[in-house]
Amino acid sequence: MPFISKIQRQSDYSSFPSSHPIVIDNGGSYFRIGWAGESEPRVIFRNIIQRPRHKITGETVTVVGDHDPALLKYFDCTRSGPRSAFDSNVVYQFEIMEYILDFGFDRLGADQSQINHPVLITECACNPVQSRSKMAELLFESYGVPSVAFGVDMAFSYRYNQQLGICSNDGLAICSGFNTSHVIPFFNGEPVFEACCRTNVGGYHITDYLKQLLSLKHPHHMSKLTWEKVEDLKMEHCYIASDYASEVKLFQRGDKKAEDKTRCWQLPWTPIPTEEAPSEEEIARKAALREKQGQRLREMAEAKRFNKINDLENEIRDLEMLLQRLRHARESDIPSILGKTVYSSKQDVESALTKASQSLRKAKGEPVESVEKIDPSTDEKYNLIKVPDEMLTPDQLKQKRKQLFIKSTSEARQQKKQKQVEEEIERERQKKLEEERRLENPEQYLEELRAKHRELSEKVEQRKRLKTNGGHTNGNHNASSGVGRGERLNPSQRERMRLLTTAAFDRGKGEDTFGTKDEDWQLYKLMSKDNDDDYDKPDSDETELARISTRLREIDPTFIFKSDLGSTSEEAPRFVPQTKEDFQIILGVERFRCPEILFNPNLVGIDQSGLDEMVGISIRRLPKGSEDLEGRITNSILLTGGSCLFPGMNERLEAGIRMTRPCGTPINISKASNPIYDAWRGASDYAAAMQFPQQTFSKMDYYEKGEDWLRNYQIRYSI
Amino acid sequence: MEAEVVEAELVLPNHMRFKKIQMYEKYPKGQARVRWKHLKQLLPAENYQNYPPHLPNYVNIESPPSAHPCKRICDITGYEVLELIMAPYFDPRTKLRYANTEVFKIIRSLPNDYVQRYLALRNAAVVLR
Repeated sequence: MPFISKIQRQSDYSSFPSSHPIVIDNGGSYFRIGWAGESEPRVIFRNIIQRPRHKITGETVTVVGDHDPALLKYFDCTRSGPRSAFDSNVVYQFEIMEYILDFGFDRLGADQSQINHPVLITECACNPVQSRSKMAELLFESYGVPSVAFGVDMAFSYRYNQQLGICSNDGLAICSGFNTSHVIPFFNGEPVFEACCRTNVGGYHITDYLKQLLSLKHPHHMSKLTWEKVEDLKMEHCYIASDYASEVKLFQRGDKKAEDKTRCWQLPWTPIPTEEAPSEEEIARKAALREKQGQRLREMAEAKRFNKINDLENEIRDLEMLLQRLRHARESDIPSILGKTVYSSKQDVESALTKASQSLRKAKGEPVESVEKIDPSTDEKYNLIKVPDEMLTPDQLKQKRKQLFIKSTSEARQQKKQKQVEEEIERERQKKLEEERRLENPEQYLEELRAKHRELSEKVEQRKRLKTNGGHTNGNHNASSGVGRGERLNPSQRERMRLLTTAAFDRGKGEDTFGTKDEDWQLYKLMSKDNDDDYDKPDSDETELARISTRLREIDPTFIFKSDLGSTSEEAPRFVPQTKEDFQIILGVERFRCPEILFNPNLVGIDQSGLDEMVGISIRRLPKGSEDLEGRITNSILLTGGSCLFPGMNERLEAGIRMTRPCGTPINISKASNPIYDAWRGASDYAAAMQFPQQTFSKMDYYEKGEDWLRNYQIRYSI
Repeated sequence: MEAEVVEAELVLPNHMRFKKIQMYEKYPKGQARVRWKHLKQLLPAENYQNYPPHLPNYVNIESPPSAHPCKRICDITGYEVLELIMAPYFDPRTKLRYANTEVFKIIRSLPNDYVQRYLALRNAAVVLR
């Protein structure tokens, strides 16, 4: 049940006489203001302000409390979040406090030249005197309040419940508020502050914890997890486990009970429209279109080919004619004939002719005869090889060496080609074999392939990790994303770093002899980054893996190709919430993990005792000689403050307190009639009492008696 | 200003009839903002050391550290980490506590800022200043 601000302006301000006190409960989360003697505060709003900028006029304005968020659209709130006057449970920012008081008095209907009513305002237990004096000053100077009284909220709450008979004269108040939690013993209706105890954990911390946990768990819905919404979630779903360990075990086991305890918040979600399969006509239309385009392209290609053939035929004809003329012409005429053409000799013309006829054949699609004809004159080509060296001239010897070289290289080429062909055949054979096996038992084959893929990819993965991590095998899958947290460099990178650092520190020591030797310059080669390349060469496993994954891609529709191994970017595809489940915020363990911080502040890094332990501490702090009080005190424990509303609070506290108290101690814990409003109600009741004016002090008192007096100022609660 | 904003009286007026000193007089525009002392700065100025220690004050009413052993729970799931063995499930790299192998896989795949945010939850994050 979320709290709703009550901010209607009251109209009956002038009907109250000037002696009628105004009562303010200045709480960490809510500010409540009303008239003494009434049962409900008149105005309630969240104790925060915002100072957004008006979008049109650019003017900075002040907005106090919670308002309709729809109205805030006219303002630019990006640069100013909600701000509070509190640091922990102490008011320190009196500019904000003044805005809040302005708003409070304004909504109470104040319309005279000053606030001519005594004011009772709550403060925290043992409020630092500076905060107290600034508050008094503010009330006296800015608002002209005639007299002021300060009181502690939980003492008023205790007093109110005492009058209702919920707790007795001697007892203990456990108050868990917004910023802090207190335990205060009461003796004869008076709080014993000497024995009081404060832990800086409250509702704020619980909401913040829940908000952080949920936004870490659902990073996509961060914007939906506003403070207000999380606060609502907390109030609606959080509870206190009677025993954290056993409760969490339920969830760890994940059985039915845990399922029942899990709450789910469905965010607004609209299913993504599934793409409709195109209709038959559409498919046919598209196919026709494609066919038409293909036809056009084919025609174009055909025309081009035809032109080319034509050109080539013309060229051949010309060349043949030229050759004819050359054959019949005399030797002396040849240059004059060739002078008109680009050719320089008869051989040139012949080779051009063969080339042209070859390309013509190619253009016509006839098989090209092997370019590398078996040279009939092998013996002739390598004529010198078989001749012994002694019989050759030095010139011939050179020739022979050349021939030897050419022969060996051409043979090697031949061999290589042979080998390639053989390998091709072998691969083909294996493929066929595999295909046969697949056809024999497709299921098993697929399974085997998958297993092999898994195995290999793990192996490759492992190697990669070793490479980047230098022997550390860990489950980090983003190891490849650069050198990060604790990641180690690979050996060559390490060597480079070593060289660089030695080079950097080598400066200025003795004479600089760098560069006198040629080897010195080798250093730069070693330092350069290119050295890494050989380290990243794919090995046989990787190629095998690549082969298997392509094969799997061919035959297995369910196979998802993760990443090609060449590139190391292994980032998982960005998760995009799509399904209904992705738009659910699940509250499981969080439901009791967050309020658990009241009992174990250590969970949020606050090194203080929890609520149950505080009771023991508080009792131990009681003045000596009050043993009988110690026995009685636990018989009347009052729970108050907003954070006491969690279900299971009473039981947990009782169990915790029973552990620390002697056996047989009566323990009686009761919740305040209304843990949230009782402080104001008690204060209102108190301010309406006949003796209230004696508890207040005026501006005169304040300035005459000084700060030290204010430090020791304390009202008597049991009037 | 828009009519609906005016109607809702969303914006706090600058001038209040019931005030003796108005906000704009106290904090004139363009003047340097008052720097309010935070609680941390306020408390030393209270000079509590000059007063007898049995008098209650803001500092000495604070509760001491818990006498119970520190509860260790998994940072991600909230599952309890076995207390018998001293924190066996503690990842030295991220410094996160974890409940089981699945959680371990998760924490190792978390980006660094998430790790730091989880650590910040229990006030154990590395704070760079």
